[in-house]
Amino acid sequence: MPDLLGSPDSGRGDREVGVRGAGRGVKESLTASLPLPSATPALLAPHPLPHAPLLLCQRVSKWYGPVIGVNQVTLELRSGITGLVGANGAGKSTLLRLITGCLRPDLGHIQVHGHDAWSTAARRHVGYCPETDAFYEEMSGRQFVESMARLCGYPRREARKRTEAALERVGMAGRAERCLRGYSKGMRQRIKLAQALLHDPELLVLDEPLSGIDPVGRCEFLHLFRDLAARGKCLLISSHELEELEKLTDHIAIMAHGRIAAVGTVAQIRDRLDHHPLRIRIDVKRGPQHTQGPEQRRLAAALLKLRDVVGVELLDPPPDESVGPVVVRARNPQRFFQELTRLVLEEWYEIARLETLDDSTEAVLGYLLRGRSA
Amino acid sequence: MGESRSQAAAPELLHYRPWRGAFRPPAASVWPIARVALMSLFQKRMFWIIYVLGLLIFLLFFFGQYLLSWAQTQAGETEVQMGGWGRMNPRHLIQLFRGLLKLDGGAQTYYNFFSYQGYMVMIVLALAGSILIGNDLRFGSLPFYLSKPLARWHYLLGKGLAVAVFINLMTTLPALLLYVQWGLLESWDYFYERFDLLVGILGYGIVLTVTLTLLLLATASWLRRTVPLVMMWTTLFFFCRLLASALVDGLQFSPLWKLIDLWNDVSLIGGLCLNVQWSERRLGYQPPWGDAALVLGGVSLLCLIYLVRRIRAVEIVK
Amino acid sequence: MGPITANDNQAMIALRHLSHWYGPFQALRDVSFQLAPGRIGLLGPNGAGKSTLLKILLGLLPPSSGGGRVLGHALGEDSAALRRAIGYMPEADALIPGLRGAEYVALAGELYGMPRREAQRRAHEVLTYLELEEARYRRLEEYSTGMKQRLKLAQALVHDPPVLLLDEPTSGLDPAGRDAMLRLLLTLGREHGKAMLLSTHLLGDVERVCDTVLILHQGQLLLQGGVAELCRRRHDRYRLQIQGEATAFCEELRLEGVRILHDNGRGELRVAVPPNWVTRAFFALADNHHVLLRGIQPDDEDLEELFHRVLNEEGRHGRESESGGGA
Repeated sequence: MPDLLGSPDSGRGDREVGVRGAGRGVKESLTASLPLPSATPALLAPHPLPHAPLLLCQRVSKWYGPVIGVNQVTLELRSGITGLVGANGAGKSTLLRLITGCLRPDLGHIQVHGHDAWSTAARRHVGYCPETDAFYEEMSGRQFVESMARLCGYPRREARKRTEAALERVGMAGRAERCLRGYSKGMRQRIKLAQALLHDPELLVLDEPLSGIDPVGRCEFLHLFRDLAARGKCLLISSHELEELEKLTDHIAIMAHGRIAAVGTVAQIRDRLDHHPLRIRIDVKRGPQHTQGPEQRRLAAALLKLRDVVGVELLDPPPDESVGPVVVRARNPQRFFQELTRLVLEEWYEIARLETLDDSTEAVLGYLLRGRSA
Repeated sequence: MGESRSQAAAPELLHYRPWRGAFRPPAASVWPIARVALMSLFQKRMFWIIYVLGLLIFLLFFFGQYLLSWAQTQAGETEVQMGGWGRMNPRHLIQLFRGLLKLDGGAQTYYNFFSYQGYMVMIVLALAGSILIGNDLRFGSLPFYLSKPLARWHYLLGKGLAVAVFINLMTTLPALLLYVQWGLLESWDYFYERFDLLVGILGYGIVLTVTLTLLLLATASWLRRTVPLVMMWTTLFFFCRLLASALVDGLQFSPLWKLIDLWNDVSLIGGLCLNVQWSERRLGYQPPWGDAALVLGGVSLLCLIYLVRRIRAVEIVK
Repeated sequence: MGPITANDNQAMIALRHLSHWYGPFQALRDVSFQLAPGRIGLLGPNGAGKSTLLKILLGLLPPSSGGGRVLGHALGEDSAALRRAIGYMPEADALIPGLRGAEYVALAGELYGMPRREAQRRAHEVLTYLELEEARYRRLEEYSTGMKQRLKLAQALVHDPPVLLLDEPTSGLDPAGRDAMLRLLLTLGREHGKAMLLSTHLLGDVERVCDTVLILHQGQLLLQGGVAELCRRRHDRYRLQIQGEATAFCEELRLEGVRILHDNGRGELRVAVPPNWVTRAFFALADNHHVLLRGIQPDDEDLEELFHRVLNEEGRHGRESESGGGA
């Protein structure tokens, strides 16, 4: 993939290109991998306009009795991976259920591929991996997935073929014979994912797919998600494990109190948080002749003169390294980094480390939800 | 990064304080387990409804005894006209009532009381089983208990104690009250003359407690949920009973078949403790008490073995 | 390292040739290690034997062979005294429905053998410390996931044990809750001298809290040691974060002899530089190609890479020995 996503706008552009380019191509690759039954509506359905988003939520609200679960949410997805993050009880699962047509919005409407999400037509395009794990415990993993395939409407032989393919993808083909009751949490997650992949949907809605999986399995899952995204699928993944999500995507939607607080790439959202200047750590190498750190002080003084710098802090150097760390707080990151480059080149600093401390998803989430300092 | 965060968290007003003190031996944890189990039972409204129903039976016996003995003191020597039946002495009439209703402070009174109350106890136990034990296995509270410095059997003892307290609260305790009441109503000599009845009441209580407790613990840890548990108990005590009486009384099978009716076995041993005098006819259809004791002992032992295995098994699988 | 338990110079856990079988299945194979008191992370894929090891350390399972000592208590001898010295936070919810928070923690204290009043007093104290002050009188059914986790920690802390065994303490927590929990654990370890053994799937937890790591795989101990020492230092590797059109920049880097190891397509590069490289060159190149350089970090091995490296090495090793045996 080309390096387009570094700048805020190119990220969005790339996603759209993905859809346009994939309009036919996806289906071809899809037919190649899994033979579709003739009745699959993906082929029969009228092609949506190339510009229409795959998923469109418009001013969606949902109440549970007097409790509001989702409060006027608007969201548009085209392709690629989007992370859905937020605190427990923020309404993530409710939103995902609305999108998958498990719940019907009280206000607003949701369209998947141009169909109302509540309709069966829309569900043919959506694969859902729910958060709760409730299975028929006495079935084996293979039986469970196969009966799900039968419920999708595939004839027996086709269902079996698809079951095998899905189990293969999630790495369960060799061990799906056992009774579901004896499965570990990670195996349950894999089975849930397998049943979501059965009908090769374009939109995959995954609610906490990474919880309870060991590090090896997690690696495999991330690989699988990337692979699915590369094949033009659109993935909406809610997760608490932000480090893992960061490895997958930087496009996130943050939910809080039933509302979408922000959508975009992490960098985009971070740049919008004007009240929290970026904290940047710079380790400057000491010159060999100095035992103390005048380089560190020289850099700090130079940084203070920059327009966007709000504050500079000198840290104690780590014991075994000959560097002097400085933490800068700066507004307008774009301009700051430009000026830093100029500074480094003109004044001959040797930088051992340049690291933004609070542009991770976790930090952004913290700032956005509570304004707390990480 | 972690460094700076922990420092940020440090200025808290309330610091963690160490605790130093002597620990008590593991046996001391039996009562807390029982107390908590009983507490969660007493919180249920269902429990109180059934307890009040059970109390009604007790009140029936209590006031029955009281009224009859009061009527006896009130009744004069004059005979009363009994409709078309002829005249009768009220004292004899009251004696007749007492004999019919078995409210005569004899072994049969307590035996009857235990059997009626026993039905209520069974219903409540079936409902309470999941609260007392089933929930621990269902919600994974077992690691909570077993990770503490107590052995498996401390846990079982604690839970057993809760069930036992509860059973005795409904059976032995009211029976003892009836015993005391009769002594106070009639004469103090009753306590000396019929001391065997006190022993009998306690004996019946022990048999009932041990059997039902073990059976409840075992079935509840097996089935966990209330509804299957109620079905299981209905099968054990209601259908087995029907089957036994159909086989023995109806089809004239050997009275040994009555042994499958656990409730009948408990009654037999209880009756033996109270030294109830059976009629010849009834005795003919009953298995010998030795066999009944053997069955009860066997069932209790099986339950105990199952429990010990079960409590360990869950812990390994998790 | 902060003040530590009374038996300072003694090992907290010392195991010798410990094995455990469930029937024909061997869950632990000849595990031996010695650990000084500290914050230890226990890592391993599912089925590696982590839970079995925890059960054995708690004295709940007798080891099939081998033995060891935990805080000076021999395994399998006085398990009650052993468990009294340990606070165990189970992975499952392990709550008793119908109880209130304070009652639950007090019950735990009583089960550990504290006198009733002491247990109740201490329950309130610990709950306040864990920021559950307002929730003390609420019923356990009403607790949220984050509160439940802290409650389970409270019941493990109530008798002030020198050692905590924590099984997945952050599972199900949202980012803020997880951050708070890890901070609590770190404070308990650093400032109050609690030794802890943390079993988890989240490598980030171990990275933040622990100083020592144990890696189990298929019942075998693959690795044990300090996190900082085990991770390889790689002086020639850097991670760069750039913003802007990077193709030309990357080309130029290659010409300078820099190998681009990985490009995640979202502006992050992992590179290996030739000897005597100065980082100023990155800035110069970026400036030439109108690319914004937003980050340079020495790319030392992190725990995750370490974990996968160790597991891969083991896998290769295992296959080789297998094929050797077949031939």
